[in-house]
Amino acid sequence: MRRPAVRLMSYGIPVLLVMVAPLLVEDRFVLKVLTFVGINALVVVGLALLFGYAGQVSLGHAGFVGLGAYTSAYATVRLGWPWLGGMAAAALVASLGGLLLALPSLRLRGHYLAMATLGFGEIMFIAFVEAESLTGGVDGFTGIQFASVAGFDFRTPAQNYWLVWGVTLLAAAVAYNIVRLRPGRAMRALHGSELGARACGVDIVRLKVQVFVLSAALAGLAGALYAHLVGFISPSIFTLHFSVILLAMTVLGGTNSIAGPVVAASLLTLLPYVDAVLPGVPESVASFLSDWETDIYGLAIIVVMLFAPGGVAGLLRRAGVRRTRVEKGREAA
Amino acid sequence: MELSELLQFAVAGLKNGSVYALVALGFTIVFASTGVINFAQGEFYMLGGMLSVFALQALGFPLVLAVVAGVLATTAIGVVFELLAIRPRKDGDPLALIIITVGGSILLQSLTRHALGPDELPFPAFTPGPSILVAGAAIERQTLWMWALTAAAVVALTVLYRRTAFGKAMRACAIDRDGARLMGVDTRMMVTASFGLAAMLGALAGIATTPLTQTAFNVGARVGLKGFAAAILGGLGNPVGAVIGGLLLGLIESLSVAFLSSTYKDVIALVVLLLVLFVRPQGILGRREREKV
Repeated sequence: MRRPAVRLMSYGIPVLLVMVAPLLVEDRFVLKVLTFVGINALVVVGLALLFGYAGQVSLGHAGFVGLGAYTSAYATVRLGWPWLGGMAAAALVASLGGLLLALPSLRLRGHYLAMATLGFGEIMFIAFVEAESLTGGVDGFTGIQFASVAGFDFRTPAQNYWLVWGVTLLAAAVAYNIVRLRPGRAMRALHGSELGARACGVDIVRLKVQVFVLSAALAGLAGALYAHLVGFISPSIFTLHFSVILLAMTVLGGTNSIAGPVVAASLLTLLPYVDAVLPGVPESVASFLSDWETDIYGLAIIVVMLFAPGGVAGLLRRAGVRRTRVEKGREAA
Repeated sequence: MELSELLQFAVAGLKNGSVYALVALGFTIVFASTGVINFAQGEFYMLGGMLSVFALQALGFPLVLAVVAGVLATTAIGVVFELLAIRPRKDGDPLALIIITVGGSILLQSLTRHALGPDELPFPAFTPGPSILVAGAAIERQTLWMWALTAAAVVALTVLYRRTAFGKAMRACAIDRDGARLMGVDTRMMVTASFGLAAMLGALAGIATTPLTQTAFNVGARVGLKGFAAAILGGLGNPVGAVIGGLLLGLIESLSVAFLSSTYKDVIALVVLLLVLFVRPQGILGRREREKV
């Protein structure tokens, strides 16, 4: 088989499966869970760019998700904006937050950004609780309407599933193209040696800030999608715990890949719902998994960084290399 | 505002500041030996309190022994964490090590929740009794203990670094790892020791505070963050800077409550952190470094 065909199939088949899932899945609950998978995957696309290509980690992306969610909720419910306006505002506000955070911390070498993002996430959490007139405080923000474009309302679980995954796949496609073109090569150079990349004319600070702002915007979009899907948001969702889970998904997914982290995000999000998704798995397994979820994430992060630093993507790549070698061997023979 | 009131705020600030100083020292020691920000530092603070409470309540240790046991057990956990999770990553890639410490942080936190429960736990004051009045400001006896322990830790560290071969080896390792190795210093051992030392300092801060604040499995992250802000404020990698940064951060926090509002008390440290990164990233005492190829 020729390479382009292989590539087309290896991306086309999963995408097709994702898009037809609502036709195959009848259970509304499972479909809802799969929609949440899409929302997490959207955040992870941004984090994958940040971690896998720009070599930075964020421990505050829950803050950006929350910023997007509250922005869109406020714009649509209090200001009466249309849904699309709320989404745009969410992405814009989250980007501005990202810019504000990235400028001081990314000017420096080393990993100050990680700690600064951790602080940012905490600030946002406190702000969501305390700024009651804007956010509704601990009681949360209620009465957020479903997404609606030009008179068409996304009401059924299937419609919302397509909406979320449509945005996620679009973002993944954009990210994939970014990493294939010049910014991607620059980011890979940066990952190898900052000084080397700089010597080759890469404006590394600008590049890192751009990637960070893009990842913040995607997180903001994901937050807005979440708010309109569930109709209710409260500070308890946008915690450090959520940020760490997002980081775990990204790290487990692997470096230099968009697909790897998306796969990892899907698997890890489904983990606590394994009994609903896979028939025949008893509920006790699922409740055990959700009780020990954090321990599993912590252990998995350590094990992957020690023994499989490429993550899921690395394992897939290695399998791919082996396959092409075998094929080449056959052709030669 | 009256002087006694101001003094009261200063006492509160220096009380929290001594905790930040110990946690900041932990960050600084690990950073000096590995070049890595240890995200599990706050968990050592949490473990110190939680394990001492466990020794006192479940094992029935007397108070002094419970404190010692809590600190030593946490030190051991710090050492084991380094041996199992940091040392195997031989290339020492900072990004990988940072992520490992993040994983270790949530693992330690979650394991503690499973082992010791999700509740807030109390610990009795080391020496019970009424507060001491100084110029109209009340100082709790436990606060005196916190200051005494912080001072003792700083003196002990100074002696360790200046007077012992072991401490000198650690400093050599911090200045130039390869150079130290060529001089026969076991640098891997020094990294292990730095994690043990950082865990010990964190645990000390944790158990000294617990009588005033209680403790729970999830108290580590916020204290870790503030300790890090203190370390950055003083200049990351500089032990004297860590102590000064810690006390200063405590004072800034406390005075901002006095003059502004208490709602956003926890935000102050983060604002300080971002401001320092923006204006003077090398901290108060740090020197600007140039990168060589």
